[in-house]
Amino acid sequence: MIDIIGKRNWFFLISGLLVLISIISLATVGLKPGIEFSSGSMLTVKFVEPVDYSDFKQEVANLGYGTAIIQRTGAGDYLIRTKELSTEEKEQIEAGLEAKFGALSEAQFSSVSPQVATETINNAIIAVAVAAVGILLYVTWAFRRMPKPFRYGTCAVIALLHDAIVALGIFSILGAFLDWETNLMFITGILAIIGYSVNNTVVIFDRIRENLMKGISTDFEIVVNSSLVETLSRSMNTSLTTIITVLAILLFVGSTIQNFAVVLLIGIIAGTFDSICVAPGLLVVWDKNEWGKLIPWRKAARAKA
Amino acid sequence: MPRNNTIILMLILAIFIFALWTVLPLNAERFGRKGLHLGLDLVGGVYLVYQADFAENATEESQRTNTINMAVITIQKRIDKYGVTEPVIQKMGEDRIMVQLPGFTDIDAAKRLVEQTGFLEFREVELNATEQPVKLSDYLGQEHLQFIDTKEMGDRFFVVDVAGARGEITSKTVAILKPDESGLTFISASGNATSNATLTEYGDATSWIASRGNDGTQLTGEFLSDAQPQVDTSQVVPQYVVGIKWNDKGTIYFNEIAARLYARPENTKQRALGIFLDDNLISYPQILQPQYEGGSAQIEGNFTPEEAQELATLLSSGSLPMPLKKPPLYQEKVSATLGANFIHFSWIAGLTGILLVMAFMIAYYRLPGFLASLALIFYGVLVMAVFKLWPITLSLAGLGGFVVSIGMAVDANVLIFERLKEELRTGRTLGAAVEAGFSRAWKAILDSNVTTIIACVILIWLASSVVASAQVMGFAITLLIGVVISMFTAMIVTRTLLRFVIHTPLAKNTGLFIIYRGKKE
Repeated sequence: MIDIIGKRNWFFLISGLLVLISIISLATVGLKPGIEFSSGSMLTVKFVEPVDYSDFKQEVANLGYGTAIIQRTGAGDYLIRTKELSTEEKEQIEAGLEAKFGALSEAQFSSVSPQVATETINNAIIAVAVAAVGILLYVTWAFRRMPKPFRYGTCAVIALLHDAIVALGIFSILGAFLDWETNLMFITGILAIIGYSVNNTVVIFDRIRENLMKGISTDFEIVVNSSLVETLSRSMNTSLTTIITVLAILLFVGSTIQNFAVVLLIGIIAGTFDSICVAPGLLVVWDKNEWGKLIPWRKAARAKA
Repeated sequence: MPRNNTIILMLILAIFIFALWTVLPLNAERFGRKGLHLGLDLVGGVYLVYQADFAENATEESQRTNTINMAVITIQKRIDKYGVTEPVIQKMGEDRIMVQLPGFTDIDAAKRLVEQTGFLEFREVELNATEQPVKLSDYLGQEHLQFIDTKEMGDRFFVVDVAGARGEITSKTVAILKPDESGLTFISASGNATSNATLTEYGDATSWIASRGNDGTQLTGEFLSDAQPQVDTSQVVPQYVVGIKWNDKGTIYFNEIAARLYARPENTKQRALGIFLDDNLISYPQILQPQYEGGSAQIEGNFTPEEAQELATLLSSGSLPMPLKKPPLYQEKVSATLGANFIHFSWIAGLTGILLVMAFMIAYYRLPGFLASLALIFYGVLVMAVFKLWPITLSLAGLGGFVVSIGMAVDANVLIFERLKEELRTGRTLGAAVEAGFSRAWKAILDSNVTTIIACVILIWLASSVVASAQVMGFAITLLIGVVISMFTAMIVTRTLLRFVIHTPLAKNTGLFIIYRGKKE
């Protein structure tokens, strides 16, 4: 039988590194908020004729929007992001661009007021917090017949927070390179990951519960490891089928929900990893009260001895 | 057991055929539903959320609710005249109004249509003691601000003529003189404080006061019974005008005012009736008769046909009971071409996803995998039937949620088959292993799906509490429906199919159940 639990400290190390990288990236690069969070207007215009990027940027600056963020999305397609525009200001920009570069059509326009942006941020934070607490309570309840059900809930929540942090971190790194912004769909992706990550963890915990009741071994570590191995192909297969469908979205639909699909993809992979390698390992650590040994130098000392 | 199973199989088949008939062809009408209900991001359209701008006195909650509801009805009436299919106009929270116009992509026209208060009022020129028109400079020359026509105690509107966009002369309200607790104050047309410089610059502006019937009631749009765009052919160049019809009271007031104004000198502003829409003077036609028969009149104003139509719509739908704050809290416009591509690619993504997942399941689990694939087709059709009949508004993220749910839907099957494998390894017969596999996997399926359901419920809460939420709601709803239906298809459909198969000769071919070859511990 594969010994996953025995190598738990290695997995904790990998996981810890991932979290560390994510936190560093979040702290230094951070996430770029989309207009849903930062407020402002976003205008996508399509010109009949191709328009040069630097000319376009210059003209937008001439119109008084030097601080606008401009992205080229096609030969004659541009996305302009500015502070919140009034109807008159928008008409003025379009008229100005049309005068300079010829006929244009407005493909997309959205505008968010600061008030709505603040509400959106607050509610998104509340949603993530409520989801974490709700899942902690649910898992604790689902394992209420076990000794110390709270541990199961806590380990499941640690695993899901780990997923969320890694997804945020990797997204922030990608965001820095690819200029990706976070929006409400991104938060939706994070919440979907939270649900999915726990889904995997619960299946494994469920098997631990069953094996404990069967009494396959008195050693908790062995029980956990055999439960893991027994559910391993299920965990892998389910992740694989979900990854297939997320990839299908990413490849064929792309564009607006691209960020969402990427968050899901990162989250599914991270979620599969930590529900197999981290959450059950934590249970064992907790059971054996090995918290002190997680500190590297003490672990090294123990390895020598 | 076999006989019961056959009955269940028949039932499942019946549900499948029913669901298939419901879904296909997509555009056929079933139970009054046609096609899939696509969200704004897919069909293109305009999405607006406005904040109501209540006057400070309207603080009572019931009064606010009432006002908002009236505003929703007014906006509905305006939109209805434009023939937008399935517009959604709703109260959102306490003091917001949400407007969704699928297929309508002129966001500026949509905003004009919705956000104009549409308050029509009739005014006449203020006269001084010598019956001469009062100008803004007359007020500025006063030592202490007080109304010149002391019989009229309402607002004064100061209007000048300026060159319009098409070179024509239009009117502009430069200032409003309002009585308040401290006396009289000048404000600008948009309600802000005015600078003395502006006031001096427009010293020539004419002062307009409310036109009232003999009982003191001001003539406003409230007394209209109808408004239609018309072409006035009586002039050299036909003009687009808006024909209005007064109701009974309006007819009386209008005639009383007409009789009074008719007595003033011909071809002067004093004899004109000023028509003000949302504080702007549209036109000031001369009163040509002391008495107008039939209670109808015309509003002129150098209109284009569209403008005449817009104004008629505005007037006949009535004014908003309170103004809306501009710009809207949230506004979004998606063009339809963008949407068409999304739908097309979502279908490809969905089909590819489903085919790949089926291929994987068959390759890995052989016969049970094939049965799970059948269950997956059943799943897809059933979910589409629910989407169509509910109907669920499908946004791009909603379609995404559906595609992701395909991957998750087989999860229950995977759980069951893995269980089945283990049961077979312990030496059970195929029949017993199937039963044990299902009953043991059930707990894990339920527990694990509940966590996804919790996430969905929280997402639905999030979506209903924030403004820009169509995508979130779409994803959460489709995923939720997907999870619930997948539990059904795995537990009932796959099980019934498996039970059916184990009683056929296929069951003897152990190669089809690759699970027999699973490694022994």
